[in-house]
Amino acid sequence: MGKRKKVILPPDLPLEIAEDELQLSDEDFDFVRKNRKYAGFLTKLDTKSIDRHVTRVADHKEDELEALYEKRNRKAALLKVQEDEAQVDPVDALPIRTLDGDWKYRTAKKERYEDKSNDTASPKKDDDEEKGVIRLTKAERRQKLKKDKKEAKKVAKEEGEMDVPEGKLHSEVLEKVQEDLSAEELFTKKKIKVAKVGMTLLENPESNIRSLTDLLQICDDEDHNIVKLGLMSLLAVFKDIIPGYRIRQLTEKELAVQVSEAVRKMRYYEYTLLRSYKAYILKLIGLEKQTSFRQVAVRCMCTLLDTAPHFNFRESLLISVVKNISSSDDVVRKLCCETIKSLFANEGKHGGEATLQAVRLIADHVKFHDCQLHPDSVYVFLSLKFDEDLRKSEKMEEKGRPKKRRGWHNHEVPNQLQGSDKKRSRRDLIEKTRKEVNADLKSVSFVPDPMERRRMQSEALSAVFQTYFRILKHSMDPANSRSKVNAISLPGGSTAYPLLAPCLDGLGKFSHLIDLDFMSDLIGCLKKLAGYSDRHDGISHQNSLSVSERLQCCVVAFRVMRSNLDALNVDLQDFFVQLYNLILEYRPDRDRGEVLAEALKTMLWEGRQHDMQRAAAFIKRLATFSLSFGSAEAMAALVTLTHLLQKNSKCRNLLENDAGGGSLSGLVVKYQPEATDPYLSGALASVLWELSLLMKHYNPSISSMAASISTMANMNPAQNQAYLSTISPPQAFADLSIERELLKQSSKPLSLNIKSRREKGKEFVVLDPDQLQRVESFLDEDQVKLRLEDHFTVLRDISENERLRGELNRTSLSLSLYEEYKMQKKKRDNKTKRRKDAKV
Amino acid sequence: MAKKLGKKARKFAKKNLQSVLKRRRKLKAVFKKRSAPRGGNNRDALEGDEKVKLDQNMEGNSGGVILDGSITENDLENVFPEEDEDLNDDISDSDGYLSEDTECPYISESESENDSTKKNAHIDLVGKNKELSTEITQQRKKLNRLIKKDPEFSNFLESRKNDMEISRREELYSDEDEDEDDTSYPDGDAVQDSKGSLSDKILTSSTIDVWCWLVMQEPSGPAVRNLLNGFRVACRYGVDSNKIISKKIQSREVFSKILTFVLSEADNIFRRLLRMSDSGRKENIPKLKSASEWRTVSPLMESYLRSSLYLLHQITDNQILIFVLSRLRASIIFFSAFPSLARRLIKIAVHLWATGDQSLSLSSFTIIRDIASELPSDYLDICLTRTYKSFIVCSKFVEHANLKHIEFLMNSIVELHSLDIRKSSQRVLTSVQQLGSILRKAFKTKKKEELKMIHSWQYINCINMWVKFITCNSRDNDLQPLVFSVIQVITGVAHLFPGLRNIPLRFKCVQMLNELSLSSGVFVPIASLVFECLDYKESGNLDTTRGTKINFSSLLKVPKQLLKSQDFHEECVLSAIELLSAHFAQWSYHISFPELTAIPLILLKRFDAKTTIEGLRRPVRRLIDQVEQNRDFIQRKRDEVSFSPNDQASADSFTQLEKSSGNAPFTQYYASVLQNSRTRIIVN
Repeated sequence: MGKRKKVILPPDLPLEIAEDELQLSDEDFDFVRKNRKYAGFLTKLDTKSIDRHVTRVADHKEDELEALYEKRNRKAALLKVQEDEAQVDPVDALPIRTLDGDWKYRTAKKERYEDKSNDTASPKKDDDEEKGVIRLTKAERRQKLKKDKKEAKKVAKEEGEMDVPEGKLHSEVLEKVQEDLSAEELFTKKKIKVAKVGMTLLENPESNIRSLTDLLQICDDEDHNIVKLGLMSLLAVFKDIIPGYRIRQLTEKELAVQVSEAVRKMRYYEYTLLRSYKAYILKLIGLEKQTSFRQVAVRCMCTLLDTAPHFNFRESLLISVVKNISSSDDVVRKLCCETIKSLFANEGKHGGEATLQAVRLIADHVKFHDCQLHPDSVYVFLSLKFDEDLRKSEKMEEKGRPKKRRGWHNHEVPNQLQGSDKKRSRRDLIEKTRKEVNADLKSVSFVPDPMERRRMQSEALSAVFQTYFRILKHSMDPANSRSKVNAISLPGGSTAYPLLAPCLDGLGKFSHLIDLDFMSDLIGCLKKLAGYSDRHDGISHQNSLSVSERLQCCVVAFRVMRSNLDALNVDLQDFFVQLYNLILEYRPDRDRGEVLAEALKTMLWEGRQHDMQRAAAFIKRLATFSLSFGSAEAMAALVTLTHLLQKNSKCRNLLENDAGGGSLSGLVVKYQPEATDPYLSGALASVLWELSLLMKHYNPSISSMAASISTMANMNPAQNQAYLSTISPPQAFADLSIERELLKQSSKPLSLNIKSRREKGKEFVVLDPDQLQRVESFLDEDQVKLRLEDHFTVLRDISENERLRGELNRTSLSLSLYEEYKMQKKKRDNKTKRRKDAKV
Repeated sequence: MAKKLGKKARKFAKKNLQSVLKRRRKLKAVFKKRSAPRGGNNRDALEGDEKVKLDQNMEGNSGGVILDGSITENDLENVFPEEDEDLNDDISDSDGYLSEDTECPYISESESENDSTKKNAHIDLVGKNKELSTEITQQRKKLNRLIKKDPEFSNFLESRKNDMEISRREELYSDEDEDEDDTSYPDGDAVQDSKGSLSDKILTSSTIDVWCWLVMQEPSGPAVRNLLNGFRVACRYGVDSNKIISKKIQSREVFSKILTFVLSEADNIFRRLLRMSDSGRKENIPKLKSASEWRTVSPLMESYLRSSLYLLHQITDNQILIFVLSRLRASIIFFSAFPSLARRLIKIAVHLWATGDQSLSLSSFTIIRDIASELPSDYLDICLTRTYKSFIVCSKFVEHANLKHIEFLMNSIVELHSLDIRKSSQRVLTSVQQLGSILRKAFKTKKKEELKMIHSWQYINCINMWVKFITCNSRDNDLQPLVFSVIQVITGVAHLFPGLRNIPLRFKCVQMLNELSLSSGVFVPIASLVFECLDYKESGNLDTTRGTKINFSSLLKVPKQLLKSQDFHEECVLSAIELLSAHFAQWSYHISFPELTAIPLILLKRFDAKTTIEGLRRPVRRLIDQVEQNRDFIQRKRDEVSFSPNDQASADSFTQLEKSSGNAPFTQYYASVLQNSRTRIIVN
């Protein structure tokens, strides 16, 4: 294959790539065949160009190559059939715009393209071929990367042998060259190349637009780092050169008109840009599936989506980003979430269309995964912005129309279809007139008209609520028991219903936008979730939701109720009962204290007039609660309690030990702390004795709070408003949280004013002085003497040992000296002998 | 190394020799003066001669002796940094002081080293010594034969001798005793000779007796000097390779006699010399210092104290150590005159306190406490720092075996801190704040290392220690801010590690909170920390096999495999009952008792209804019954009163009468719970 290309365009190719391409072999193809899944992408993509290529090069000598191609062709055809049968692949669904401006879908493209290619400029044709080639090789390489390097090398060798001598020679030379260049050198070389191409592109995009293809080629490199660099520099380039408008397809009419050189150039520029952009995105989508490239690819896609949400191919980007929104990889997930959030926040960039698309995609995603996703994927909805008056005006506008949405009921779908049909016709009308008036402005400007905007918002909203209701329904479904969920074991979701918390948050936030029509359904659902049942069976009722989640349900119900004041006919009584009992279930480290504080705030602190019985019951329970729990929780409870006492002047009777206090109690004469219903607790008959113990609380802020509460009994009822404390329960909770307290402690100066009431103490505090005395009286002097003697013997033996050893050494040394002595003596003897001889 | 050492030693000798010689001469002069008029006593004269000879000998050898001292000094530099870097703030100045004094070279080996060599050596020492001596006689016979055969060889040997010596000196210049031996070496006779020349200096049992008698008769006499010198020699016996010293004492009787006598009588002797009353331990040292006797007594005293410290450092036997410590304790007051010795004593004592066995630890603590209370207050600081640091080192691991020891260490530190509340509360506050800042950091970052730092015995023991300190002292002192800080830290720790696995740690926290609350009278809500194990869902697959018993006292974290065992579950609930009843018992007379117990009662009842473990049902029921009884009692009493919750004074006096009588059923119940838990621990 590579050789084939070399025949056509030898000078264009960088060395590495040429060498690389020589590594195509039977084995490679086998690998591809074995791993059709991976190969699918490449075959789908390239059948046309390969076809053409094969036919064109058929007259060349390599027969085996041709055979290969034929094999491939057969396979491709097979795949193509499959492909046609399957629903539209997202990748192939991307339309391609040809030079003449026609939008072609992949399947229909071939004939048209070949017609045109004859009369268009030759470089373009080359381009196209090249592109096809690259695509293949890139895909090949991707397969290859999965093998380990050794195998790759072996393959290269074998293939070299298999190849015709010419190619073999060539490859050998190249291999040598490659080996000569050290890996690092190669890397820097490539880096420099990337930088160069990037710079030229940035300097003058118009004239150098073709360099994009060079960059794309670099991204096919086998060095991962180079690929990453290539991707990032392409990203930078695209970020810079993507125009502020969407490149529109040219109509037949427009094409027919003779255009000036400048316009033609512009069209060419746009066309190349768009085509490279598409190739880039395809590559990103492909790389995203590989773990080693995932982060880079996702980062690129997120940045693209963030900077150019208006541009072409947004849909495919969105699909990929949404797919990764619940990724188990923290970095990827965070990136995607941030992107989606910024998409929601900066609607000006894309006119809200992307928002709608994203919301729908997320909704589908949730549906597809049966609500088993990372909570982050639904938390992004919280950054959505809707016009405050959205629902009202919509209602006005759609008066007479049957219910637009019906929650999670089945009629939802037809209703929606109906609605959108209507809208579409209206929009068409508007668009027509608009086009007539100012067609050009439309293409440039992204400011949607208010109607359009409203339509999109309401559709997005409906998708959001659809998701929320789906999640609620899912949570209620007893079939989704914990055991089943545990098997799935999601990375992020620690709870059984990972999406419930963000869903409740969202419902709380958008409560004012909920249609009144299914308010009662919603409330009923929440009620069930909050764990209310006629629980005489008490605990046997197995509610699988955590306490925090149940508290949250209560909070949401109140929020919904409060933001729809006109729908006050909903009875929230049960939620109070729930809260009253849930307070007991709260466990400091298991459940989130903030949620409890929030519940206290929404349900008790913010509430308007309370029923006296209920208020008293809550006052009593909160006081009792603060006796058992930590300071932060206690403080939140006390703040709420104060507030309740202030609002309900009659409840201040609780502060006084009045013998006649029972007169107010009504039904129940004696306080029943174990009652589950606040109305039946008889709290009015009780006295807040808790306060006197709370006044001894170790935390000064709580003890002073308790003290101030106990004085409220004497408060003049008229003074009510003046005393209202400004601090809310969540605030109080946060203020006294352990972390904050520790910080306070450390910032405090060191001061201890010890008033010691006794002089330097002599007496023992903990230890038993007798015990100390006993140890010494226990001593036996004879025993000590004996031990000392033993000690001495040991010491003496040791020193004796040392001495003896030294002596031994010396003696043996002297003995060894004797040898030396003998030698000398001999010499001396000889000398004397000689001398004697001489004398003689 | 050797060369370097040698150089240093020589340099040192040059620098310090003069003063030492001078001092020696002075000593000798004094001695002569004193001994001369007493010539009538033959033995005494002999002693005097002996002494002079010894002194001369020492003078002759003083170069060597000093060299010896300087080596050890050099070793010190090597040993100390690794031995206790963190503790050694004072060692450098004591160094200078010590090495000036040749009488008592500093101890170089660490105790453990010494220990091991001794033990190893002792096992087969006797046998080895025998082997060696037979081998020597064989070799020597051979040599003698050679010499007989060829007399010229002995001359040759003589000539080679010097070379050998020189080379030897270069290698082992320090072994001057070997040099000495070498000079007397050539043949067996010479060895005999040298032995003979030394033998008259040997301390005999009778000499010691006479000395003792003399000293007892007349403390100011010269015998004290002799005796102390002998004592010094005995203390250094076997550690120095100095032959003179090791030769001086040859029988174990002498050794033990001199040590026991000096140790038991030295204090009295000094007191008599200084004309102090026996009972007057509180004599102040500045006054003593100005006394005329001081100048003569102080070198003696220093020698005695120094030698005793030396002995303390060498000995490993507990009995002897306790004996020495108890004797030193008697004369603890004298240490204030010698700061470096006092520091060394603290160091040794702290080491023995932290590592020794029960009785040794106790007696070391008594001496530390005496130092802290009777010496000037900066010694208290040293003691506090040292003990604290070694406690931190020791408390790294807590097992069932060392629980008692750690508790003792903790108690003794609390004891020391209670000596001066004003000073130590500031220290405690600083320490608590440090603990708090570690905790805060962990809360912020939740990093593994930081969490680990808190989830360690060191951290927990440290908190526990300060809790003990507060509980012991809050009755007499106002420690409120300290109490608040400690409670903050403890609750923080308890909340930082949620989950069943960390229950032992959390229960420890709760226990500490209970103690703090009880001692300081503030209310600390602990119930919520205990609730978790009351609604511990009983999964069906509870492991009912009764295997290893769990004891929370030596655990911070429950091993994973035990999490599902029934034993663990039972232990959890029983401990929870214990903690709750302690909490309730504290407030059992308080007017808010019914409210305090309301939520726990609900949970307990629910637990009672749910539980399947029969063994737990009874204690839980019992707690419920007791609490309800007491609640009804308080409610009945409450109905009789007429004051309101805002009347704090009347609320405080509520049921005080009953409280003072102290035999309400709940108090009795709590006592029985405590009893049960104790037996449970013992059974485990």
